Formats: sequence, C-alpha cells, structure tokens
Amino acid sequence: MNVPITVTINGTAYTRDVEPRQLLVHFLRETLNLTGTHIGCDTSSCGACTIMLNGQTVKSCTLLAAQADGAEIMTVEGLATDGKLHPIQEGFWQEHGLQCGFCTPGMMMAGVQILKNNPNPTEEEIRHGLEGNFCRCTGYHNIVKSIQYAAKKSAAM
Amino acid sequence: MKLQTQKTDKNFDAARHVCGRSQFLDDLTPPEGTLYAVVFYARAAYGHIKRLNTSPALACKGVVAVLTAEDILQRGGENQIGGIIPDEPLLAEHDVHFWGQPVAVVVATSAVLAREATQYIECEVEPLPVITDPREAAAQGELIMPPRTMECGNVDAVWAACDVVVEGTAENGGQEHLYLETQGALAIPTEGGGVKIISSTQGPTAVQRAAAKVLGLPMHLIEVDVLRLGGGFGGKEDQATPWAVMAALAALKLNRPVKLVLPRQEDMRMTGKRHPYSSDFKIGLTKDGKILALEVSFYQDAGAAADLSPAVLDRTLFHCVNSYYIPNVRATGYSCRTNVPPNTAFRGFGGPQGMFLVEAAIYRAAEALGVDASAIQAKNLLQEGDTFPYGQVTERCNARRTWNDAEKAFDVAGIYQKAHEFNASNKWHKKGVAVMPICFGISFTNTMMNQASALVHVYSDGSVSVSTGAVEMGQGVNTKIAQTAMTIFSLPPHRVKVQTTNTSRAANTSPTAASAGADLNGKATELACEEILKRLLLTAREELNAQEHDSIELREEFVHHNGAKTALSWNNLIQAAFFKRVKLSEQAQYATPRIHFDKTTMKGHPFAYHVYGTAIIEATIDCLRGTYTIDNVQAVHDFGQSFNRVVDLGQAEGAIAQGIGWMTMEEVIYSKEGRLLTDALSTYKVPDMHSTPRMDVRFLEHSMNPMGIMNSKAVGEPPFMYGIGAYFALMNAIKAFRMGTGQIAIKAPMSPERVLMALYAPLHEPQLTEISHEA
Repeated sequence: MNVPITVTINGTAYTRDVEPRQLLVHFLRETLNLTGTHIGCDTSSCGACTIMLNGQTVKSCTLLAAQADGAEIMTVEGLATDGKLHPIQEGFWQEHGLQCGFCTPGMMMAGVQILKNNPNPTEEEIRHGLEGNFCRCTGYHNIVKSIQYAAKKSAAM
Repeated sequence: MKLQTQKTDKNFDAARHVCGRSQFLDDLTPPEGTLYAVVFYARAAYGHIKRLNTSPALACKGVVAVLTAEDILQRGGENQIGGIIPDEPLLAEHDVHFWGQPVAVVVATSAVLAREATQYIECEVEPLPVITDPREAAAQGELIMPPRTMECGNVDAVWAACDVVVEGTAENGGQEHLYLETQGALAIPTEGGGVKIISSTQGPTAVQRAAAKVLGLPMHLIEVDVLRLGGGFGGKEDQATPWAVMAALAALKLNRPVKLVLPRQEDMRMTGKRHPYSSDFKIGLTKDGKILALEVSFYQDAGAAADLSPAVLDRTLFHCVNSYYIPNVRATGYSCRTNVPPNTAFRGFGGPQGMFLVEAAIYRAAEALGVDASAIQAKNLLQEGDTFPYGQVTERCNARRTWNDAEKAFDVAGIYQKAHEFNASNKWHKKGVAVMPICFGISFTNTMMNQASALVHVYSDGSVSVSTGAVEMGQGVNTKIAQTAMTIFSLPPHRVKVQTTNTSRAANTSPTAASAGADLNGKATELACEEILKRLLLTAREELNAQEHDSIELREEFVHHNGAKTALSWNNLIQAAFFKRVKLSEQAQYATPRIHFDKTTMKGHPFAYHVYGTAIIEATIDCLRGTYTIDNVQAVHDFGQSFNRVVDLGQAEGAIAQGIGWMTMEEVIYSKEGRLLTDALSTYKVPDMHSTPRMDVRFLEHSMNPMGIMNSKAVGEPPFMYGIGAYFALMNAIKAFRMGTGQIAIKAPMSPERVLMALYAPLHEPQLTEISHEA
C-alpha cells in the first residue's frame, strides 16, 4: 500500500504517493526526474547521492522516501538561484574540481555542509568533511581547492 | 601550419556538471513503455549446468520475459562476444566458468520486480575443480594462447660476463576500475528490425559488432550512441558490451525499449579487473650497475576468457624494460585461464605490470650491490638512438632530461638525506624514498586500430558540429577536439559543439583507449577542418576580390586580408559559401603514419612516440601499526606542448592517485572457490580524501611532438605508473626499520597488513606467510 508524502524540494512542494520501500534517491531521480543526484555504490559509501535534508547532508540512498515526509530538501538542481551559480558551483568550475562529473553533485553538497559548519575551514577540515565522498578521476586536490575558492567567494559576498 | 592554439582552461562540460544537468545513461528519461532487465548470474566458479529452470521467475509479478542462450539461437544469432578470441558466450550455455557469469536475463516492468524474480530461477551446477592461481593454470596447460616471447641480443651468452646475477619473483594484484557510474545500456527497437543502443561504453563499435553477431543482424541495423561516461578507465572498453547486447536482445524479442543498469555489487561481481601477475626475473649487471641482461616470465591471470588479455600481455612485454636501455632481453608471457571474471583493459593495459617487474628486479639487484635502486636506474636510462627490445629506436628521447630536471627541481639528494636523518632519530616511524622513471609507448599495439574519423559540419548559421569516434569520460577529449576546431576556424567555444559518439556518424571506430583518443580523433578533426578551411578561404578570396598572392586568413570570426580585418564576418562568409553551393561538410580519416609491427618476430615500430617522466615518491610508515602515508609525489612529466594544462594536470594527478591505490590499498580478493570477496565499497578500498599525497607535477620544457595533436603528448595512462614508486618507497621504509635484515617478498598491493607482517617477518625469511581467505 502506497503512502502519501509531501516534501519541499528546492523550494517547490511535491505531494506524491510512494511505495513504502522506495529509496529517497529513487524518488528524486525516477519520480521527480531530478537526475542530478547520482547513484554510485548503493551502499552509502561513495557519496554521489548526497543531498541536504532539513539543512543537513544525508546520503539519499540510505533513506526511504517515506522518511522524508515533511522535509525540506535541497539537491544540486537547487544550488543556483535566479540563474546565478552558487559559490560552490563556481569553485568546482574555476578550480577544475571535476573530470567525469559523476561524483560532482554529491561533492558539492558535502562542500555546502562544510561551509555551513565553518565558513572559513582549514584544508584538514575540508578533507574531514569530504571523507564520505569518493572521486575516481581526480587526485582530490582540485576538489579541496574548489571548496576553498567557494569559502573565499562567500566571504567576499 | 603554425597555429596559435585556442587556449581554454575549462572542461567544456563543467558548466553542465556543476548544475547536475549533464546527462549520464541512467539520467535519460526512458521512452514510454520501457522495460527493465536484471541479470541472473552463476553462483559457482566452474561446472556443468545440470538444470536451468526459469519458469518460476517468469511467473513472478511484473515479469515479461526471461531470456537465456536459447533466445539467441532461436533468432539465428551467435552466442559469442569474444573480441580477440571467440571464447566467451553472452549467456552461459552448458558450463559456467566463473562465479558471476551471466546465465539469464529477467525482464520486467520495473527493475525491482525483475530483481525479485531472479531469485526464483533454478540453476544447478555440477561443480568442477576451480583454479584461481595463474601458475597453477599454466601448470595444467590452461593457456589462452601459446606463450609469447620478445627477445633482443643474446641473454644466454651474457650471464657469464655479468658481475652480479640476481633471480627472484614479484607479484602484483588486480584492481577494480570503480568507475563511479556503473555499466548500463538502453536499447530501443527501430523500424526494419533494427535497434538503437545508448550505451555507457568506451567502444561503440565493439558494442555494435557484438550486437550484430548475437542478434544475427547486419551492423547497419544497429546504431550505438554514447553521450558521456561517468568514468571508464578501460573497464568499459570491452566489458560494456554484454549489458548493451543483452538489452538489445530483450528489446528485439519484446519489441519494447529495455534498460539494463548494473547495481554496484553486480558490476563488481560480473566484470573483470586489472590483471594480477605472478612473475620471475633474472637480471645481470656489471659491478658498477650497468644492466647487461634481463630474462623475465610473466604469468598473467587472464580469467575465464580471453577478452583483451592477449593484447594486455603484449604491452607487458613491450614495457618490461620501462625507461632503461637493456641490450639483452628475453621476455616470455603466459596468458593463464582461471575461473575468475575475464580480466580486461585498465589504464596502462599491461604496461604497469611489466614496469613493476623490472623495478622489482632493479630493487633486488640494488640489494645485491649494496646501493640504492636509484643509482642503477640513473645509470641505465634510455638515450637518443637506443633500441627497444621490439626494435624501435628512441626519437626525441626525454628519459634523462626528465630525470635530471626532477633531480634539480626537487633536490632529490636532499630528500634522501632528510629521510635518512628522520630514520636515524625515529624508532617507530620510518621514511622511505623511491624514484620512478617512466616510459610509455603511445599507439594501440595492434597497428590497424590506430585510425579514427571525424565528420565536421558548418551549419548555415555559422555554428560548427564535430562528430568523432572519441568517447568523453572525464578525460577532456571533447574539450581538446573542440579546441582543435576552434583553433583552425578561429572561433570562440560557443560556436563549436562536439556531438555524441554515434556509430552512424563515425563508423568502424577504435575504442577510446590507449591514451590515444585525443591524438587520433583530434588529428582526424584537424584534417576535416582544414579541408573546409581551404574552401572557405577560396570563397573569401572571391568575395574580397583578392589577388592570388594576397594573404587571407580567419581571425576571431572575421576574415583578414593582408593582415587587416575586413568587414567579412564568419557568419557572412558561411552564408556566401552556402549560396555559392560550396561544400560546408567534410569527413576525414586519420591513420597514424610510420607505425608497423610484425607479430611473428615481435619486431617493428609499434609506437608513434613515447611519453617520459620521472617522479620522486616519499612515504612514512608507523612501525607499530603497519599504517602509512604516501607523503609526497613530485614529478617532471613530458606532456609535449600541452594545449590544455588544466585538463592534462588533472589527468596526471588522477592517474597518480589511482596508481598508488593499485600498489597500496586496493586489494581484489577471491575465495578459493572463486567468489569475489571484495564486492562492495565496504570491502574494497579506493583512495579517499586522506590517502592522496601532496603532488607537484611539472611540465617538461621544450618537448616537441609532431606526432601528437597540436604537438602535445597523450596523457591518460603514463602518469599511472608513478604509483609503482609508492610501493618501493614503502619497501625502503620497511627496510629502514629492519636495518637491512632479511629480504621482504615483493608482492603488491602493499596493504597495511602486509607492511605490518613485513616489518616483523622472521629474519632471513624471504617468504611472508600468506593470508588465507575463506568464503
């Protein structure tokens, strides 16, 4: 039996009936067609599916859609506002913090959390904050630089 | 033609990537009525299929069909996907040869329902003895092909003249590709009995060819399209094929679109990896460290079918002298059939295994001579005019230049001195340093594969479309191809679009592999654009009533006449050409010149050029725990004339991280029964945020390379092999703790548990106790 849920995603409220076993990441990708959030490992290890739920990063492959009832969610699609890139997006672009782009949305969401906790993080704090995210293309250094770029940019805003 | 390359420091996909708008296969909105396929695979590594009953699965909710080998035979197709040797069925027929081998495909209205149904398939396998060790396979005569030998000089005659002869063994493990996007395909039936396959593959033509064979169709009824890959690393060169063909088989049987995307665990269980090798060496030197002879035997764990193993083994032989001139060499390779998934292409393609072995031999020789390995390395580096064992002579050889530049730039002597001082004053932490020179040949070693085509259209609005056989997987090949067109036409980025890789626009393509994607497809793009440019300049000459000897050129979207900007813009020029019925499209083929190779004598000129480099790697171990950090990698690398430094540096850093992963923490483990034990990210560890060292990769200055696109050098694979230095840096740190007592077995990966055992292995005990793994 399906259950009705209402979630606010990137500022828009969605009410849908969901299969109780449906994962939040499948709800986002398949039901709402928000495919920027990726699935990398299915087991909460790689972080490609990282989103913000009520202001905290979570791995959306670890939650059921039903658990998100009433929640405020932000995905990669919600980072830019009024056609203007979020500093974290600018950072990944400017500092070449990406190659194939598959891990990028999750990395950026983790980066948003780091800067939320500490607008001026040290390199060590950035690395600690990205422990739950894997990238197989880069050597991670440009990802760290991307978040440093975003921190500087946010401070200047 | 001398051109100022159009500079860009951006990957053209970046804007889409950061917005989550770049589409990967699984992101495409499936067409109405799409069905979902899930693979049922063998739970035994070797045996006869006694009974296969799929009807209980067919009775499950949502299930539309269950396909087996029978469905292929019924439609007159061939159940065969082996690329080099036809020894690999798409779906198991009478026997299974590895745990995870696909047996049936369940198609249902959703992936969840299809997956649920697979558990009701009954498959009884009568087990046979399983082999997971390549030497055991060789002893039983289980070889994929006859052994191959590459030889130069006269090894046998030289041993007596050597002051030191050292023999030993070295082993390296496999490596899971772990492209973050798993394998997948979407197949859509097309009119006339054909099919369009959207596939996450590095080899669209490989998919097309295999689908044609299995479906019993001509290739022109199969269109393969690739948008981009979420990483490939060789894992999608041949092994993206089965899933695409299964989806196509189901789509044609049911006349519905069918999507098949592997979950991570199934991907890890069913696909092959980098080849583990077990190898013997014998190296002979003069007392001052000049290498006179090298004899090696490689036992390659090919897995249950040939896949690309013969070609991988060839490259091992090509690269078993790495950056060194060795006058007498005999290298023999055995491709051994075992009961694990067929191992396959992975960044370096056999080269890393060959280079690991010669470095192991040098390491042992250094122990015998009582010197650091770097003394032997430096003494034997290739010079201009030296001959490789395969007969090619070095040209523009940069081995010594990168070594010397690195020595100076990074104060290598100081690094050794500091490590020595650290070790003298620390009991429970030890540092190790290693130098790792590399030399990697660029071109497919199978000469015929060194060809590519490009199709360039200039549309009447002045926008440019480029189609090639290159597949974008994060390496920036599309950016480089676009830069090529931008440079020739002198256009800004928004004017040029590199299209999806599609077999209807680029036929008979080689896979995007061997680091050669940008060279081959970029050169083809260059040829096509130059033909169009010639015609456009002729049109411009007419439009401007210019004299025959006047100079006419395109600069920043305007025609320049004798160096002066005219009012004739790019758009107006294109319009004029269109009205004059000038051909605004061109298809061109590029075939790498000069290369040839005779497989019977194993001699020739197989490579367009070589990439060189030298890295210094530092590591620190915790001698109580066996844990360690790879602290620093500093390299001078030969990029040729890089025309996208940001992209190239990104490739180098990523390759180094992956190479270190292979040598240190990444351990593929099969049980004795042939079941993969490291089949999830919880049990298979890849480099994370904390495990990548500091990196300082410098560009070798004044390296010209007319054989590469825009004078650049291929970059995908070569820096991977700097990772080998991490292994020997750890060996040196262990040695510092043991104060030179006993000999540590050379066996990669050097995981923390191996480090710990090596630190405390009994004195004078060369072999470590093997870790036993039970299922």
